[in-house]
Amino acid sequence: MNIDKIKERFIPMSETMFYILLSLCKERHGYGIMQHVRELTRGRVVLGAGTIYQSLQKLEANKLIEPVKEEDRRKYYLITKNGKEILLLEAARIKELYKNLEGLI
Amino acid sequence: MKDKKTYWLTAFRYVVPADYEKWFEELAADGWHPVRVGQWSSIAMRFRKGEPKKYRYVVDMQPAPKKEYKTTYKDFGWEFVGQMASAYVWRREYAGERPESFSDIDSRRGRNRRFIWAVAVSFAAFLICGTGLAGGFIFSGLGDSEKLQMGIFAAICFAAAAALSLVMRKIAKNIDR
Repeated sequence: MNIDKIKERFIPMSETMFYILLSLCKERHGYGIMQHVRELTRGRVVLGAGTIYQSLQKLEANKLIEPVKEEDRRKYYLITKNGKEILLLEAARIKELYKNLEGLI
Repeated sequence: MKDKKTYWLTAFRYVVPADYEKWFEELAADGWHPVRVGQWSSIAMRFRKGEPKKYRYVVDMQPAPKKEYKTTYKDFGWEFVGQMASAYVWRREYAGERPESFSDIDSRRGRNRRFIWAVAVSFAAFLICGTGLAGGFIFSGLGDSEKLQMGIFAAICFAAAAALSLVMRKIAKNIDR
Protein backbone atom coordinates (compact mmCIF):
# COMPACT_ATOMS: atom_id res chain seq x y z
CA MET A 1 0.00 0.00 0.00
CA ASN A 2 1.34 3.46 -0.75
CA ILE A 3 2.48 5.68 2.06
CA ASP A 4 -0.09 8.42 1.41
CA LYS A 5 -2.95 6.00 2.10
CA ILE A 6 -1.24 4.90 5.31
CA LYS A 7 -0.73 8.52 6.36
CA GLU A 8 -4.39 9.20 5.86
CA ARG A 9 -5.26 6.16 7.96
CA PHE A 10 -2.87 6.76 10.86
CA ILE A 11 -2.26 10.50 11.20
CA PRO A 12 -3.28 12.06 13.54
CA MET A 13 -2.60 9.01 15.65
CA SER A 14 -4.30 7.89 18.85
CA GLU A 15 -2.17 7.88 21.98
CA THR A 16 -2.42 4.09 22.07
CA MET A 17 -1.09 3.68 18.53
CA PHE A 18 1.64 6.24 19.09
CA TYR A 19 2.98 4.56 22.19
CA ILE A 20 2.80 1.08 20.68
CA LEU A 21 4.69 2.20 17.59
CA LEU A 22 7.22 4.04 19.74
CA SER A 23 7.73 0.96 21.92
CA LEU A 24 8.45 -1.14 18.86
CA CYS A 25 11.58 0.81 17.96
CA LYS A 26 12.92 -2.05 20.07
CA GLU A 27 11.83 -5.66 19.68
CA ARG A 28 8.93 -6.40 22.08
CA HIS A 29 5.88 -8.61 22.57
CA GLY A 30 2.40 -7.53 23.68
CA TYR A 31 2.88 -7.66 27.43
CA GLY A 32 6.32 -6.06 27.13
CA ILE A 33 4.74 -3.13 25.26
CA MET A 34 2.23 -2.57 28.06
CA GLN A 35 5.00 -2.56 30.70
CA HIS A 36 7.12 -0.16 28.66
CA VAL A 37 4.26 2.29 28.07
CA ARG A 38 3.18 2.16 31.71
CA GLU A 39 6.73 3.05 32.71
CA LEU A 40 7.08 5.84 30.11
CA THR A 41 3.85 7.50 31.25
CA ARG A 42 4.37 6.74 34.96
CA GLY A 43 1.27 4.62 35.15
CA ARG A 44 -1.05 7.02 33.36
CA VAL A 45 -1.48 4.88 30.23
CA VAL A 46 -2.15 1.21 31.00
CA LEU A 47 -2.95 -0.61 27.77
CA GLY A 48 -5.33 -3.56 27.95
CA ALA A 49 -4.81 -7.00 26.40
CA GLY A 50 -7.63 -6.57 23.87
CA THR A 51 -6.42 -3.13 22.86
CA ILE A 52 -2.85 -4.30 22.32
CA TYR A 53 -3.82 -7.42 20.38
CA GLN A 54 -6.17 -5.45 18.16
CA SER A 55 -3.70 -2.60 17.57
CA LEU A 56 -0.85 -4.98 16.72
CA GLN A 57 -3.08 -6.74 14.19
CA LYS A 58 -3.90 -3.42 12.55
CA LEU A 59 -0.30 -2.18 12.52
CA GLU A 60 0.92 -5.48 11.09
CA ALA A 61 -1.78 -5.55 8.40
CA ASN A 62 -0.64 -2.09 7.30
CA LYS A 63 3.02 -3.17 7.43
CA LEU A 64 4.03 -0.54 9.97
CA ILE A 65 5.43 -3.31 12.15
CA GLU A 66 6.61 -6.86 11.43
CA PRO A 67 6.99 -9.99 13.51
CA VAL A 68 10.63 -10.83 14.12
CA LYS A 69 10.41 -13.96 16.24
CA GLU A 70 8.06 -16.25 18.09
CA GLU A 71 8.63 -17.88 21.45
CA ASP A 72 6.04 -19.85 23.45
CA ARG A 73 3.18 -18.52 21.30
CA ARG A 74 4.38 -14.99 21.92
CA LYS A 75 5.04 -12.85 18.89
CA TYR A 76 7.80 -10.24 19.02
CA TYR A 77 7.47 -7.25 16.74
CA LEU A 78 9.69 -4.50 15.38
CA ILE A 79 8.84 -1.27 13.60
CA THR A 80 9.35 -1.26 9.78
CA LYS A 81 10.77 1.46 7.54
CA ASN A 82 7.25 2.68 6.73
CA GLY A 83 6.38 2.52 10.42
CA LYS A 84 9.31 4.75 11.29
CA GLU A 85 8.33 7.24 8.60
CA ILE A 86 4.80 7.46 10.00
CA LEU A 87 6.08 7.72 13.57
CA LEU A 88 8.41 10.59 12.64
CA LEU A 89 5.64 12.43 10.78
CA GLU A 90 3.41 12.11 13.84
CA ALA A 91 6.26 13.22 16.11
CA ALA A 92 6.74 16.32 13.96
CA ARG A 93 3.03 17.06 14.22
CA ILE A 94 3.12 16.74 18.01
CA LYS A 95 6.21 18.98 18.12
CA GLU A 96 4.31 21.63 16.20
CA LEU A 97 1.42 21.35 18.65
CA TYR A 98 3.84 21.71 21.52
CA LYS A 99 5.44 24.79 19.95
CA ASN A 100 2.06 26.41 19.45
CA LEU A 101 1.13 25.71 23.07
CA GLU A 102 3.82 28.00 24.42
CA GLY A 103 2.41 30.67 26.62
CA LEU A 104 -0.81 28.75 27.22
CA ILE A 105 0.38 26.85 30.30
CA MET B 1 -30.31 -24.12 49.49
CA LYS B 2 -29.80 -24.88 45.84
CA ASP B 3 -26.21 -24.61 44.72
CA LYS B 4 -26.80 -24.97 40.99
CA LYS B 5 -28.87 -23.02 38.53
CA THR B 6 -29.26 -22.67 34.79
CA TYR B 7 -29.83 -19.50 32.83
CA TRP B 8 -31.48 -19.71 29.44
CA LEU B 9 -30.74 -17.77 26.27
CA THR B 10 -28.43 -15.34 28.04
CA ALA B 11 -26.55 -14.34 24.88
CA PHE B 12 -29.87 -13.24 23.39
CA ARG B 13 -30.99 -11.36 26.49
CA TYR B 14 -27.79 -9.38 27.01
CA VAL B 15 -26.88 -8.50 23.45
CA VAL B 16 -24.68 -5.52 24.30
CA PRO B 17 -21.26 -6.98 25.27
CA ALA B 18 -20.81 -4.52 28.18
CA ASP B 19 -24.21 -5.60 29.60
CA TYR B 20 -23.29 -9.27 29.31
CA GLU B 21 -20.07 -8.61 31.23
CA LYS B 22 -21.92 -6.76 33.97
CA TRP B 23 -24.38 -9.62 34.29
CA PHE B 24 -21.55 -12.14 34.79
CA GLU B 25 -19.90 -9.85 37.33
CA GLU B 26 -23.04 -9.39 39.41
CA LEU B 27 -23.53 -13.15 39.56
CA ALA B 28 -19.87 -13.64 40.55
CA ALA B 29 -20.27 -11.08 43.34
CA ASP B 30 -23.07 -13.30 44.70
CA GLY B 31 -20.87 -16.37 44.38
CA TRP B 32 -22.34 -17.75 41.16
CA HIS B 33 -19.76 -18.94 38.64
CA PRO B 34 -20.33 -20.62 35.27
CA VAL B 35 -19.53 -24.33 35.36
CA ARG B 36 -18.43 -24.31 31.74
CA VAL B 37 -18.82 -21.89 28.89
CA GLY B 38 -18.98 -23.67 25.54
CA GLN B 39 -20.75 -23.86 22.23
CA TRP B 40 -24.25 -24.26 23.70
CA SER B 41 -23.89 -21.85 26.59
CA SER B 42 -25.66 -19.11 24.67
CA ILE B 43 -28.77 -21.34 24.96
CA ALA B 44 -28.26 -22.76 28.47
CA MET B 45 -25.54 -21.80 30.92
CA ARG B 46 -25.06 -23.65 34.18
CA PHE B 47 -23.82 -21.91 37.30
CA ARG B 48 -22.57 -23.30 40.57
CA LYS B 49 -22.56 -21.51 43.91
CA GLY B 50 -19.15 -20.85 45.40
CA GLU B 51 -17.20 -18.05 47.00
CA PRO B 52 -18.28 -14.52 46.06
CA LYS B 53 -15.59 -13.05 43.84
CA LYS B 54 -14.82 -9.62 42.51
CA TYR B 55 -14.29 -10.52 38.87
CA ARG B 56 -13.91 -8.36 35.82
CA TYR B 57 -15.48 -10.25 32.90
CA VAL B 58 -14.68 -9.48 29.27
CA VAL B 59 -16.59 -10.68 26.23
CA ASP B 60 -14.68 -10.46 22.96
CA MET B 61 -15.55 -11.45 19.39
CA GLN B 62 -12.73 -13.00 17.38
CA PRO B 63 -13.82 -14.86 14.24
CA ALA B 64 -10.21 -15.67 13.27
CA PRO B 65 -7.90 -15.24 16.26
CA LYS B 66 -4.17 -15.69 15.72
CA LYS B 67 -2.34 -18.12 17.96
CA GLU B 68 -0.91 -15.29 20.06
CA TYR B 69 -4.43 -14.09 20.93
CA LYS B 70 -4.88 -16.29 24.00
CA THR B 71 -1.26 -15.86 25.09
CA THR B 72 -1.68 -12.08 25.08
CA TYR B 73 -4.73 -12.28 27.35
CA LYS B 74 -3.08 -14.80 29.68
CA ASP B 75 0.09 -12.68 29.92
CA PHE B 76 -2.10 -9.85 31.18
CA GLY B 77 -3.56 -12.07 33.88
CA TRP B 78 -6.86 -13.00 32.25
CA GLU B 79 -8.36 -16.42 32.79
CA PHE B 80 -10.03 -18.07 29.81
CA VAL B 81 -13.59 -18.97 30.83
CA GLY B 82 -14.73 -20.38 27.49
CA GLN B 83 -16.04 -19.57 24.07
CA MET B 84 -19.41 -19.65 22.33
CA ALA B 85 -18.71 -19.86 18.60
CA SER B 86 -16.38 -16.89 18.07
CA ALA B 87 -17.37 -15.08 21.27
CA TYR B 88 -14.59 -15.41 23.88
CA VAL B 89 -15.24 -14.98 27.59
CA TRP B 90 -12.40 -13.91 29.89
CA ARG B 91 -12.26 -12.94 33.55
CA ARG B 92 -9.80 -11.59 36.06
CA GLU B 93 -10.06 -11.20 39.80
CA TYR B 94 -9.26 -7.74 41.04
CA ALA B 95 -9.26 -5.36 43.97
CA GLY B 96 -9.44 -1.63 43.50
CA GLU B 97 -9.92 -0.27 40.01
CA ARG B 98 -11.84 -2.44 37.52
CA PRO B 99 -9.32 -3.61 34.91
CA GLU B 100 -9.98 -2.99 31.22
CA SER B 101 -9.08 -5.19 28.30
CA PHE B 102 -10.12 -2.51 25.85
CA SER B 103 -8.39 0.48 27.32
CA ASP B 104 -9.34 3.11 24.75
CA ILE B 105 -12.46 4.08 22.89
CA ASP B 106 -11.15 2.97 19.47
CA SER B 107 -10.63 -0.59 20.59
CA ARG B 108 -13.97 -0.70 22.47
CA ARG B 109 -15.68 0.41 19.29
CA GLY B 110 -13.65 -2.18 17.38
CA ARG B 111 -14.84 -4.94 19.69
CA ASN B 112 -18.47 -3.86 19.41
CA ARG B 113 -18.20 -3.54 15.65
CA ARG B 114 -16.97 -7.14 15.44
CA PHE B 115 -20.13 -8.20 17.30
CA ILE B 116 -22.30 -6.23 14.89
CA TRP B 117 -20.58 -7.95 11.95
CA ALA B 118 -21.12 -11.36 13.46
CA VAL B 119 -24.84 -10.63 13.91
CA ALA B 120 -24.96 -9.20 10.38
CA VAL B 121 -23.85 -12.54 8.95
CA SER B 122 -26.81 -14.37 10.55
CA PHE B 123 -29.09 -11.49 9.59
CA ALA B 124 -28.08 -11.88 5.93
CA ALA B 125 -28.53 -15.66 6.09
CA PHE B 126 -32.09 -15.34 7.45
CA LEU B 127 -32.92 -12.67 4.90
CA ILE B 128 -31.71 -14.83 2.00
CA CYS B 129 -33.61 -17.91 3.27
CA GLY B 130 -36.73 -15.83 3.88
CA THR B 131 -36.60 -14.32 0.41
CA GLY B 132 -36.09 -17.73 -1.21
CA LEU B 133 -39.01 -19.24 0.71
CA ALA B 134 -41.23 -16.25 0.05
CA GLY B 135 -40.41 -16.58 -3.66
CA GLY B 136 -41.43 -20.24 -3.48
CA PHE B 137 -44.62 -19.32 -1.65
CA ILE B 138 -45.65 -16.80 -4.28
CA PHE B 139 -44.35 -18.23 -7.55
CA SER B 140 -43.95 -21.99 -7.23
CA GLY B 141 -46.44 -24.37 -8.74
CA LEU B 142 -46.62 -26.53 -5.59
CA GLY B 143 -49.77 -27.62 -3.82
CA ASP B 144 -51.49 -25.43 -1.26
CA SER B 145 -50.18 -27.20 1.85
CA GLU B 146 -46.55 -27.06 0.61
CA LYS B 147 -47.03 -23.42 -0.23
CA LEU B 148 -48.45 -22.73 3.19
CA GLN B 149 -45.42 -24.39 4.81
CA MET B 150 -43.09 -22.28 2.71
CA GLY B 151 -45.00 -19.17 3.70
CA ILE B 152 -44.76 -20.01 7.39
CA PHE B 153 -41.02 -20.67 7.21
CA ALA B 154 -40.52 -17.47 5.21
CA ALA B 155 -42.34 -15.54 7.95
CA ILE B 156 -40.16 -17.17 10.64
CA CYS B 157 -37.00 -16.23 8.71
CA PHE B 158 -38.16 -12.65 8.28
CA ALA B 159 -39.07 -12.40 11.96
CA ALA B 160 -35.60 -13.68 12.93
CA ALA B 161 -33.97 -11.18 10.56
CA ALA B 162 -36.07 -8.37 12.05
CA ALA B 163 -35.04 -9.39 15.60
CA LEU B 164 -31.38 -9.45 14.57
CA SER B 165 -31.64 -6.01 13.01
CA LEU B 166 -32.87 -4.75 16.39
CA VAL B 167 -29.88 -6.43 18.04
CA MET B 168 -27.48 -4.70 15.65
CA ARG B 169 -29.17 -1.39 16.34
CA LYS B 170 -28.89 -1.86 20.08
CA ILE B 171 -25.17 -2.68 19.92
CA ALA B 172 -24.61 0.27 17.57
CA LYS B 173 -26.33 2.57 20.07
CA ASN B 174 -23.93 1.36 22.76
CA ILE B 175 -20.85 1.34 20.52
CA ASP B 176 -18.68 3.33 22.99
CA ARG B 177 -19.24 1.08 26.00
